[in-house]
Amino acid sequence: MAYKPQYGPGSTVVAENRRKYMAPSHKLEKVRDISDEEIVLLMGHRAPGAAYPTSHPPLSEQQEPDCPIRKLVTPTDGAKHGDRIRYIQFADSMFFAPAQPYLRSYLESYRYRGVDPGTLSGRQIVECRERDLEKYAKELVSTELFDPARTGIRGATVHGHSLRLSEDGMMFDMLQRCILDKKGNVVKYVKNQIGEPLDKEVKVGKPMDDKWLKAHTTIYHSLGGVAFRDDAEYIEWVQRIHSLRTKYGFMPVE
Amino acid sequence: MAKAKIERTQKLFLKALKGKFKEDPQSTTVVYAREGLKQSPRKREFLEAGKKMEMARGISMYDPVRCHLGGIPLGQRQLMTYEVSSTGVFVEGDDLHFVNNAAMQQMWDDIRRTIIVNMDLAHQTLQKRLGKEVTPETINEYLHVLNHAMPGAAVVQEHMVETHPGLVDDCYVKVFTGDDEMVDDLEPQFVINIEKLFPAKQAAQLKAAVGKSMWQAIHIPTIVSRTCDGGTTSRWSAMQLGMSFIGAYRMCAGEAAVADLAFAAKHAGVIQMADILPARRARGPNEPGGIKFGHFADMVQADRKYPHDPARASLEVVGAGTMLFDQIWLGSYMSGGVGFTQYATAAYTDNILDEFTYYGMDYIKQKYKVDWQNPNEKDKVKPTQDVVNDITTEVCLNGMEQYEQFPTMMEDHFGGSQRAGVLAAACGLSCSIATGNSNAGLNGWYLCMLLHKEGWSRLGFFGYDLQDQCGSANSLAIRPDEGAVGELRGPNYPNYAMNVGHQGEYAAIVGGAHYGRGDAWSLNPLIKITFADPSLKFDFAEPRREFAKGAIREFMPAGERSLIIPAR
Repeated sequence: MAYKPQYGPGSTVVAENRRKYMAPSHKLEKVRDISDEEIVLLMGHRAPGAAYPTSHPPLSEQQEPDCPIRKLVTPTDGAKHGDRIRYIQFADSMFFAPAQPYLRSYLESYRYRGVDPGTLSGRQIVECRERDLEKYAKELVSTELFDPARTGIRGATVHGHSLRLSEDGMMFDMLQRCILDKKGNVVKYVKNQIGEPLDKEVKVGKPMDDKWLKAHTTIYHSLGGVAFRDDAEYIEWVQRIHSLRTKYGFMPVE
Repeated sequence: MAKAKIERTQKLFLKALKGKFKEDPQSTTVVYAREGLKQSPRKREFLEAGKKMEMARGISMYDPVRCHLGGIPLGQRQLMTYEVSSTGVFVEGDDLHFVNNAAMQQMWDDIRRTIIVNMDLAHQTLQKRLGKEVTPETINEYLHVLNHAMPGAAVVQEHMVETHPGLVDDCYVKVFTGDDEMVDDLEPQFVINIEKLFPAKQAAQLKAAVGKSMWQAIHIPTIVSRTCDGGTTSRWSAMQLGMSFIGAYRMCAGEAAVADLAFAAKHAGVIQMADILPARRARGPNEPGGIKFGHFADMVQADRKYPHDPARASLEVVGAGTMLFDQIWLGSYMSGGVGFTQYATAAYTDNILDEFTYYGMDYIKQKYKVDWQNPNEKDKVKPTQDVVNDITTEVCLNGMEQYEQFPTMMEDHFGGSQRAGVLAAACGLSCSIATGNSNAGLNGWYLCMLLHKEGWSRLGFFGYDLQDQCGSANSLAIRPDEGAVGELRGPNYPNYAMNVGHQGEYAAIVGGAHYGRGDAWSLNPLIKITFADPSLKFDFAEPRREFAKGAIREFMPAGERSLIIPAR
């Protein structure tokens, strides 16, 4: 019988969003246009147009050992070219940002190849070969996984995910990497993810409204959103996992 | 939102939130004034002191305006004050770093410099081998000699160097026994009087446990254990014990019986406060990583002072434990740096964990009829998986909802690790106090971690991925690590050894199981009695109050050096 991922339990919109975002069969809704150059600027790893720095020669030019695993696994583009490993890191506001840290790691693992996601409470990082990263990052920023006001692209000094929003609805950022241009109601990045000023600002679109955020978020939140308590199926599932782990160590079979 | 299972109108954290933030605690937005360092009196003090020190030493130091993020100083958001829980005292965050807080230093000093040594072995040697008489009078004389010698004075030698009494005044020895007649015959200055210090029920349990044996509670000078290490404590004490026996009982300094006394003082009759650690952690005995959680729960004395409030007693262990294990042990011994402080302080400031825990108390009283304010072993709930799941789920969901409903509280505990530790501690304490079973408490902790992670799709830093997502399997399980129950675990238990924000709470969960039953001790009655001593510099019945005193610079520690340095 073929393996069919179930992605997760729950009967609420939050649970449904989690399942959708994780499932590669769900086409992520594109919400904004971000150019290749703009993604490169936001991440700040290389200058737009510059060659990709490498950590080893292209695989076709180096002697590959006779390894059965290498025969099974097709290298990603970045691996083929010997790209170095680089990252993009996000901070997601607990005030209904669409993606949240563990969900990010799960969806990246399902959707992308050759990634190394890392999950914390206030930030989530994904590392991979640079040209692969640029492709993945573009999707992460241009689709329904991102909100310009509640999602931050932050390499360092990420403080803000749990703080009250500023009066203009933006998540707090000590470095003010992005600002809301009130005139056009557009968020623009004036610094890259580690806080270096950009020569050219990058517009990431208008902040989504509360209705959209609550329809797309993946966090349970009782203040105006879906209370975790209200998803009985989800809670029972967590209790069950815990009970089985307790009873049987790491072999939770009934 | 669905309603919580019980109504609790009192919110213990509200006063703190109102004191910290000028906005409504339920506000969701704020104007970030970006006032920088100047908004904090302590940072202003640091700036001034930094400049002064720089001039004096000719080497640059504290320069946050230039050195922090290339010119963006701390304080782009509000630099919050903190109320030390249950004290009403508001302090600056900086004042809760152990370097800036003399009470915190002294708490650890008082543990590290303590050793408990049995007297019966020595008395048998004196009586049976040497035929000497041991009476209350000779014991009094011996203790007089010992309190002269232990701080570092000579008793039988000629031409000896000695320590300045003004530098070692915190060093002394007292004894305790379960023998009331003996206690009556000893000089009160030398006795830890169990009867007077403990509530009647606890005193009876303790006296029965100690029986007629007699133990010495020894505290070597703070300055010695600071200059050397925890392993010094038994050595320093054993040397002075041996010399005092020789002096008080007129023994021959070289006779073979002295070896018996030394063996008893160094090995056979010694209770260390902490076990030696394996080589990879490279610490001797009496260092924080070796303190068993059960022993730590015994060191803290809040259950003695508040016998009818096991929640309060446990919360004091949380405060003391997070300070020692997070701030000093993991934060400094093992890791270095200053960041661990804020993991720890979340658990003992602003009455947030207190509120969550008392919610748990209300819940176990209402649903399971646990009369938690009258601790006893009879009304404890059977520690089944269903009970743990039920209590934990309710306490965890309540806590998460409080964070959601009060965004200033979420901002207060701005890191996921802070919230994770606090929520799980409330669950663990509720389960352990309800069941009287520390393993059930630990199991509640781990379910809370899973619920938290699923609800908010985040938990703590990377370490939580390991420890908290496998803890279900080593608590309340069929074979929780071959039977090492919570009382016998400690900071070096394999699954606990690397992760900030846990160990102090685990110690409290262990203690809670016993405080909830009204037990006089958690693991070792001797340690419980030793730290009841009112002559100790640090009051182990009120750790959080002591930390608050340290923060506002009203705590007087030991370790004086002004007698031997130039006047400023």
